[in-house]
Amino acid sequence: MKTTRRTLLQGAAFAGILIAAPRFSFATARSTTLRCVMHADLASLDPIATTASITAYHGALIYDTLFGHDADSITRPQMVSDYTVSDDGLTYVFILRKGLKFHDGQPVTARDAVASIKRWGARDGAGQHLFKRVADVSAKDDSSFSIVLNEPYPLILDWLGKSSPSICFIMREADASTDPGKPITEAVGSGPYMFNRAETRTGSQYVYDRNPEYVAVAEPASGFAGGKVAKFERIILQNMPDEQTAVSALQAGEIDFIEKISPELLSQLEGDSSVKLEVLNKTGAMGWLRMNTLQPPFNNVKARQAMLYLIDQAAVMQATFGDPKHYKGCASLFACGTTMESDANTGWFKGGQNIEKAAALFKEAGYDGTPVVIMQQTTLPVLSNASLLLAQWLRQAGVNVELVPLDWAGIVARRSNKGKASEGGWNIFMTYASGSAYNNPIALAGHAATGEKGWFGWPEDAKHEQLRDAWAAAPDLASRQKIAHEMQENAWNFVPHVYLGQWFDTAAMRSDVNGMIGLPDLVPFWNVSRG
Amino acid sequence: MIIYILRRLGATLIVMGLVGLMVFVLLHLAPGDPAAVIAGDNATPEQIAQLRQMLGLDDPLPVQFLRWMGDVVQGDLGVSIYSNEPVAQLIMQRMEATVSLAIATLAFAVPIAIAFGVIAAHRAGTTVDRILMLFSVMGFSLPAFVLGYMLSWLFAIEWKLLPVQGFTPISEGIWPWARNLILPSVTLGMTYTALIARITRTSMLEVLSEDFIRTARAKGVAVPRILVKHALRNAGVPIATVIGIGIALLIGGVVVTETVFNIPGVGRLVVDAIARRDYPVIQGVILVFSGIYVFVNLATDLSYTLIDPRIRY
Repeated sequence: MKTTRRTLLQGAAFAGILIAAPRFSFATARSTTLRCVMHADLASLDPIATTASITAYHGALIYDTLFGHDADSITRPQMVSDYTVSDDGLTYVFILRKGLKFHDGQPVTARDAVASIKRWGARDGAGQHLFKRVADVSAKDDSSFSIVLNEPYPLILDWLGKSSPSICFIMREADASTDPGKPITEAVGSGPYMFNRAETRTGSQYVYDRNPEYVAVAEPASGFAGGKVAKFERIILQNMPDEQTAVSALQAGEIDFIEKISPELLSQLEGDSSVKLEVLNKTGAMGWLRMNTLQPPFNNVKARQAMLYLIDQAAVMQATFGDPKHYKGCASLFACGTTMESDANTGWFKGGQNIEKAAALFKEAGYDGTPVVIMQQTTLPVLSNASLLLAQWLRQAGVNVELVPLDWAGIVARRSNKGKASEGGWNIFMTYASGSAYNNPIALAGHAATGEKGWFGWPEDAKHEQLRDAWAAAPDLASRQKIAHEMQENAWNFVPHVYLGQWFDTAAMRSDVNGMIGLPDLVPFWNVSRG
Repeated sequence: MIIYILRRLGATLIVMGLVGLMVFVLLHLAPGDPAAVIAGDNATPEQIAQLRQMLGLDDPLPVQFLRWMGDVVQGDLGVSIYSNEPVAQLIMQRMEATVSLAIATLAFAVPIAIAFGVIAAHRAGTTVDRILMLFSVMGFSLPAFVLGYMLSWLFAIEWKLLPVQGFTPISEGIWPWARNLILPSVTLGMTYTALIARITRTSMLEVLSEDFIRTARAKGVAVPRILVKHALRNAGVPIATVIGIGIALLIGGVVVTETVFNIPGVGRLVVDAIARRDYPVIQGVILVFSGIYVFVNLATDLSYTLIDPRIRY
């Protein structure tokens, strides 16, 4: 065949069509689909069996809750149309909204709500605290149920509507009857989106389709409350472990949203008009350091107090986040920018890092030179860097340090060992939680000081526990703030843990994505639209 | 030949059994607790212990191993601790992406590498040889993540010709499938091009110094015919060996390239499983990998008989 200029042009035109064709179809799908890269892979589908945030996001898409906190932290009815409280504050009767249906077409009944509350109550820290005061939870008929208490518990509605894991999602009775310790693998709720298992690829992408039967509350979306209107036909949560790839994909318009961007990649997006950056979680996250209080040297309160003077939060934060606009130091037991934030007993923080004082306190504690084992988390830069800095400061204070680098799975396995560090135990590990999680001394397991029954590190303090109970029983916010102040005054004396600083992750999204609701513990995808 | 194949297949079963045992023991010796990972950071030790019991992770190791091996013998690789999906299904879901990437990489690398190797050997010691070998050194030296990001920036972000990431199944069309594979296969293919080109050159140089090549030249046989028909065929065994190793490595998962281009392949599956200690998935994938390695090695050995008729089993 003879090659002419015409055939070459035809060939070039054909090639152009081939390259462009998928773009047209992609553009059509793009207008109705929101593609999101989240901070982690969805390892479990059960938002009660795990406290992992990513599973709470999954839960918020497919399940609904009885109540929800609005943007002003006021608890508002969600699946409940009406409720009454007896004069003695012991009996709550709830009536479900009409027309609520699960994704399999079955109506949501009071029996589903009762089973779900019981399962949540067996698992969640706040739920367990509440259930110590619950005499009975039972369905009265298909649409109403009651909770009867042994003693008044003013936070009951707050707990049912909280948005921090574990959230009291309403599941089908059959699912909610599963042992709370055994993760369910079903994903059928009554929420604004339905889990599309057929198109989900475990470890790669999780697909959610709009629930056409969902009846949103006739109010504007506000925080975790209000109308959960699904404006996209489909939400896809993608697991993209490489952040640079995710940033490039966002710039190329292949994805619409990245939940968290590392500070070093922000500059790549800052001048790009097709992308916008936003801090959705205004209370940020706080890194914390847990010490094994059952073993020397941290079984001595003086050694724990030494840690307060040893850590320079600004230096820890700067090592990872660079620009101070992304972080701040915070000495409040309840995180900064929260309703319980307090300034009580923070002289150690205001005075700045004092290694000499720390060294003196270690001496008073009778530290004998035995190596202190720090489990260095290698998968999260902020915690890995913090471990290196801490090791250096401990050495300067005369402490012999052994750094043990471990991935997260290695740390969570080893941290359950209560024994000596030389026998497979540990002395220090670090992790983090959202700022708002610290604001709740009941729900966050690490706020308990119940000794060996409690969370890793096992601090014990009777006064702290009394104050926690008093906090939960307090009738209003002002009373709780007063007790929180007292709790902090006491806590920085017995030192259950030490903070590393508070940081604020930046989310990135295409500039045409609007209506993203900023919640402290959750990224909800209702109310979000394009254009 | 058939007896040889049967003997090799028999040896495969023994190899896979030993691999299974070793993987199981090493995995369980390594620190990690899937129950603690599933339960989440805020879970109490009591909740984690309860979950561990539910998942059967409290059973003695020999019991767990025998339970797993018993299932494997019956063709069941178990289910993921996390998603509860069958491991075989998870592997099959990922295999298309991995096999596609392997095919695209070899389709890119093998013809170029053999052509480079043949030309470099023919022009040994000249500038052409040096340029081609410089290229192959560069192919070895450039890490996949550097080249991958560079290609992605140029072709996807600047020129908007190709996608940054992802994988499209072939069932959605040849071109959408191929579009997603161009950049990763070029990235990955650079290393293989370099490797195969160098082996081809070395092997060809050896053959080109043989008497029968001199005879062919003396008879006036055209140079291309000498290079392809006479020399390349006789240099084929080492080249087939290195291509075979390449196939096994590619199927075995190329984690960096899969990560840079967000390709949901088997490599990513096993890395994610290791990070959260999803024992059945790790064990299943490694068992399948070992089978593929042994099978590809057998196929490579058998291919020698086609390349060199003197070889008989």
